[in-house]
Amino acid sequence: MKQPASNMKIHIVLTGRGQTRGDQLPGQLELPENSSVSDALTVLRASLPEGESLPESCLLAVAGTHLGTLHQHEDQQLVDGQELLLIAPMAGG
Amino acid sequence: MLFENGDRKTIPRHEFWERDINSQPLTSDELERYDRQLGPGALTEAGQRQLRDATVLVSRVGGMGGPAALMMAMAGVGHIIIAHGSTMISADLNRQVLGSEAVLGKPRAAHFAEYLRSMNRFIEVEAIDHEPDDGEARELARRCDLVLSCPPTFEERLRLNQASIDAGIPFIDAAQWGVSGTLMVLKSPRTACLECVYPSVPPFEELFPVVGAISSTIGSLAALEAIKILSGIGEPLWGKMFSYDGYGGIPTVVSLTRNLECRCCQEAVETTGE
Repeated sequence: MKQPASNMKIHIVLTGRGQTRGDQLPGQLELPENSSVSDALTVLRASLPEGESLPESCLLAVAGTHLGTLHQHEDQQLVDGQELLLIAPMAGG
Repeated sequence: MLFENGDRKTIPRHEFWERDINSQPLTSDELERYDRQLGPGALTEAGQRQLRDATVLVSRVGGMGGPAALMMAMAGVGHIIIAHGSTMISADLNRQVLGSEAVLGKPRAAHFAEYLRSMNRFIEVEAIDHEPDDGEARELARRCDLVLSCPPTFEERLRLNQASIDAGIPFIDAAQWGVSGTLMVLKSPRTACLECVYPSVPPFEELFPVVGAISSTIGSLAALEAIKILSGIGEPLWGKMFSYDGYGGIPTVVSLTRNLECRCCQEAVETTGE
C-alpha cells in the first residue's frame, strides 16, 4: 500500500488481562496526519491475526487521559508521538 | 455517551476527608508502636489518630485484599472489617499472605482476622465469612470511612462501588491478572466511579493466572492510598487509574473520565448536590 506523504507515529501499548496478545500488535502505527483514535483502532484491528479481536471492554486512553472503552469512547484527533493505551479489564481477587 | 474530564483531576487535598482530630492523644505504647512511621515524609500524630479512628471495609482478603488489610492493620487503621467466604485451598498459597499451611481446609475470614489481630493489639478486626450482597454491602459501607474492593468478579466490584457511593465514602479498587495490576482511587461524583469506567460488566473468569508478587504489590499500594486518604497526607490518586504492566515493566497513570450518563454518579449528584 502506498504510504501517504505525511505520516505521524503513534505508540501502541496493550496491557491488562491477556497482555500477551500485545505481541500480536504493532508497537507503533504510522498514520496519515489528522488521523483519529477510531482510525488507529481500525488499523490495529486489521493487524490482528484472522479470528482474533480486541476485547470491546478494553479501556482506551491517549496521552494519559481515559476516553472510554473500545466499544464506546470519545473520538479525538491524534498528534504525532502520542501513546494509545489499551487496558484490558482486570478483576481478580 | 457523554464524557467529562479535566478540572476534576485537581481536587484540594483534604476535601474528601475531614475528621475530628481532637480525639484522645496516642498512648505511649501506641507512640512506641508507630515510632518508625511518624515524622517528616510520613504520618503526623494527628494523622495517626485519624487512622486509629477510621473504619475500613476490605472485601475479599485474598491476593490483594490480604496484603492491603495487613498493611493497614500494621499502620494502625483502628477498625478493619474483612469479608471473605469459603475455605482456604492449596492453590491460594501462592498469593494469600494471611493464610498458611495450617489454615488449609479452614474458613478464611476467621483465621485471617486472627492473624491481623496478632499483628497489632491496638486495632479491632471484624470478620464476615461471606461476600456481602447488595443490602449488606450498603449497611457495611455506612459504618465505614472507606471501602477497599478486591473481589474476583466485576459484579462484586460494582456492588461495592454502589455501596460506597450511597455512603458517600471513598472507594479504592484493586485488580490483578497474570503479572499486572490496576488500582483506582474514586469518590463519585467528584471523580469517575467504577461504573463510569465499566458501563457494562466485562467478561471475566473467576479462576485466572496470577503471580503473588503482583498481588502484594497492588494490595500494598491500595493500602497506601487508603492510609494517605485517612491520615490526610500526600496526594491520593483521586480519579486516576494506576496500572502496572509487570510483563513489560511499564507503570502508567490514566486520568479517569466521568461518564455523564452514569446511573451511579447521577444518583450521587442528586444526593450530594455536587
